Amino acid sequence: MQNVSERVEPRSAEDASLALREAGNAGMSVSLDRPGGEVVLSTARLNRVLEHEATDLTCVVEPGIRLSELDAVLARHEQRLVLDPPGDPTVGECIAQAMSGPRRHRFGAVRDLILGVTVVLADGTIASSGGKVVKNVAGYDLAKLFCGAQGTLGLVVRAAFRLHPRPETTSTFAVELVRPRDARPLLTGLSTLNLPLGALDLLWPGRLIGLVEGSARVAQAQLDAAAQALGARHVDNDIWERSSERQLQAAGVMAFAPSDLGEVLQSEPMALIRPSLGVAYVERPIDSPQSPGLIHLEERIREQFDPGRVLVG
Amino acid sequence: MKRGERELCEAAVAALGREAVISELEQLRTYECDGLTGTRVVPALVILANSTQHVQEAVRLCNTYDVPFVARGAGTGLSGGALPVADGIVISLQRMNRILEIDLESERVVVEPGVTNLAVTQAVAGHGYYYAPDPSSQQVCTIGGNVAENSGGAHCLKYGFTVNHVTALDVVMPDGSLVQLGGKSLHTSGPDLLGTFIGSEGTLGIATQVTLRILRKPDSVCTLLAGFDSVDGAGEAVSDVIAAGVLASAMEIMDRLTLEAAEAAVSAGYPAVEALLLVELDGTSDQVEEETERVLEIFKRLGASEVRVAKSDAERALFWRGRKAAFAALGRVSPNYYVQDGVVPRSKLPAVLRRIGELSEEHGLPVGNVFHAGDGNLHPLVLYDASIPGDLAKAERLAEEILVACVEAGGALTGEHGIGTDKACSMPLMFSKDDLAVMARLRRAFDPDGRANPGKLFPTPRLCGEVPGPYREHPLEKAGRAERF
Repeated sequence: MQNVSERVEPRSAEDASLALREAGNAGMSVSLDRPGGEVVLSTARLNRVLEHEATDLTCVVEPGIRLSELDAVLARHEQRLVLDPPGDPTVGECIAQAMSGPRRHRFGAVRDLILGVTVVLADGTIASSGGKVVKNVAGYDLAKLFCGAQGTLGLVVRAAFRLHPRPETTSTFAVELVRPRDARPLLTGLSTLNLPLGALDLLWPGRLIGLVEGSARVAQAQLDAAAQALGARHVDNDIWERSSERQLQAAGVMAFAPSDLGEVLQSEPMALIRPSLGVAYVERPIDSPQSPGLIHLEERIREQFDPGRVLVG
Repeated sequence: MKRGERELCEAAVAALGREAVISELEQLRTYECDGLTGTRVVPALVILANSTQHVQEAVRLCNTYDVPFVARGAGTGLSGGALPVADGIVISLQRMNRILEIDLESERVVVEPGVTNLAVTQAVAGHGYYYAPDPSSQQVCTIGGNVAENSGGAHCLKYGFTVNHVTALDVVMPDGSLVQLGGKSLHTSGPDLLGTFIGSEGTLGIATQVTLRILRKPDSVCTLLAGFDSVDGAGEAVSDVIAAGVLASAMEIMDRLTLEAAEAAVSAGYPAVEALLLVELDGTSDQVEEETERVLEIFKRLGASEVRVAKSDAERALFWRGRKAAFAALGRVSPNYYVQDGVVPRSKLPAVLRRIGELSEEHGLPVGNVFHAGDGNLHPLVLYDASIPGDLAKAERLAEEILVACVEAGGALTGEHGIGTDKACSMPLMFSKDDLAVMARLRRAFDPDGRANPGKLFPTPRLCGEVPGPYREHPLEKAGRAERF
């Protein structure tokens, strides 16, 4: 019966609203930007940069644009959206799946960079929250609610982001790390240096890699400091591709208190670890059960946003 | 005391003990308002909670007796977020002021909501750490209140707001159950409920335990002052600093009116100029040195006068003293003032400031401008004299029109003070009926009976039919313990 799903590619919030209402009225299920529903609502044609206010370091985009496409636009003004998950997902995918990459260490995740959204709910309601200014506490922050919601609460059709200047240079240092017991002293030593690193990943077992961004002079000073104090070597920036690959290929994501790093290193033969975040991408599936209270709360939110369960997660 | 209230009071005493319950009118009056002192309501009862279980008990009582509750920290909020409801309970969290855990290795601190903002920094300063969000009431305001309001501060330009620094919350839901959001790890799955809860102004539940991220103190800090011929000129400097790729930790502008008042009040040694720009840079010493050079170049190119670089911590403190005293200082030159809190895109600052100047002339009331220029957060201070009939009404209209100008420029109703009761009726300026209806859906998911801090954030006919009262000085401000920002 459901072998063939209908694909809809709205070009506007109104189109998306209409498509969702029609599907709902027809009793059909809808999946957003992924297979699974009787109707697949795709953001392929919702892919424009609506605003790039360079002086404000903000942009407003549609969800279908890929990060690389957006980056090309922002680069014209020496700016960037500091989201670097592996692959080249769309902005909408980044939001729905709360994707992040190594630079989360310094710049935060989607939820920290998003300033506002316009969403379309399953019943066709179009609503906005937040705005396009970097500082704003008016009303509930629905943008955050939609981060990680996996498309179960509605379709994001527009999002505003905070941007950062592009660094003049980017370089990388690496320090050997193969024994779990060496991790603590190394990280403590690094922390004492107080370097404003762009990213810090542990390719376990093997190397701790740090990303240094800034002017040539400032970057060199940081590389020198890491070399002197920790014996860090300057390595090619390509090494971050290894980090991306491992993140992409991981079978599970483990959350841990950063102070428990030692135990994680003991238990995981191989992993990509972001020590400051307390996140490890590991080779085995991780079951992280949610509390009944949290499940219940998420259910009630879905009940409010999509009572007819039109949206397939 | 009404019959129902007496029963409620007896039940509260039975459940929580005599010492946790306030029911005498004179004592209840202490809780009748927060920093928005023009609006006052005496609650039926105040419960002084000292544990999560206490808060749960109190909330369950509210369910049993079908009355609303309002959580309260230090009561320094400026938008009426902690204003009591007449037949409801105020749950005070000030006794919950323990720092539960300092986990330096994780760079996390776990606290109860009644801990003051500054106490967190004080607890970790000896180890070279600090807690970044720094609202100017930080000596007295509580972390619980910061969570409710998503507080910022002068340095949020670089470091972000409360929401960027909280990694976990224990939340007592409006039905009395307990839900944990987040953890010491930043990895979570599902919708970002932690981020959704922060800044919800007490309308979704009560946070009873908070895990905070702490940061290493920067090695080097540099604070600069520069005078300009016009506010536009200072604004241009801010844009150029940003365009140069310099991420300052703070950029503040004061106009002549404010500057003179501040100088008269605290003798910060400010130059007599039309506009003063204060820039703070932090990071590694190389970085700060380089950025300082860049900023000085920009100042020079734009013809800034009176450029100064703080040479010591004492001098830096002096630079900030005038800025921090600005509001109180204007209170000395005018019998009354109303502080507005609006946001505009940075690029629209000059246009909106000109509009504020026009509005000031139209209404015949002076407006002082102090603002967090880096993030476009304006704090126009409307000066008026409440003893002159009609002056207050004029001031309120003027303040409202400033807000309209901010929203029309693509900005926001509030950058840091919150909506509360103060701006609930202005929400339709920024949000459509559908926007507000969707926010109401979220509220129903958390609080189907509308028991958590009702009458805040959302415009209601009952609320918006009434005219809010004038600004009156908060006792803490009067005592010099807190300043408005």
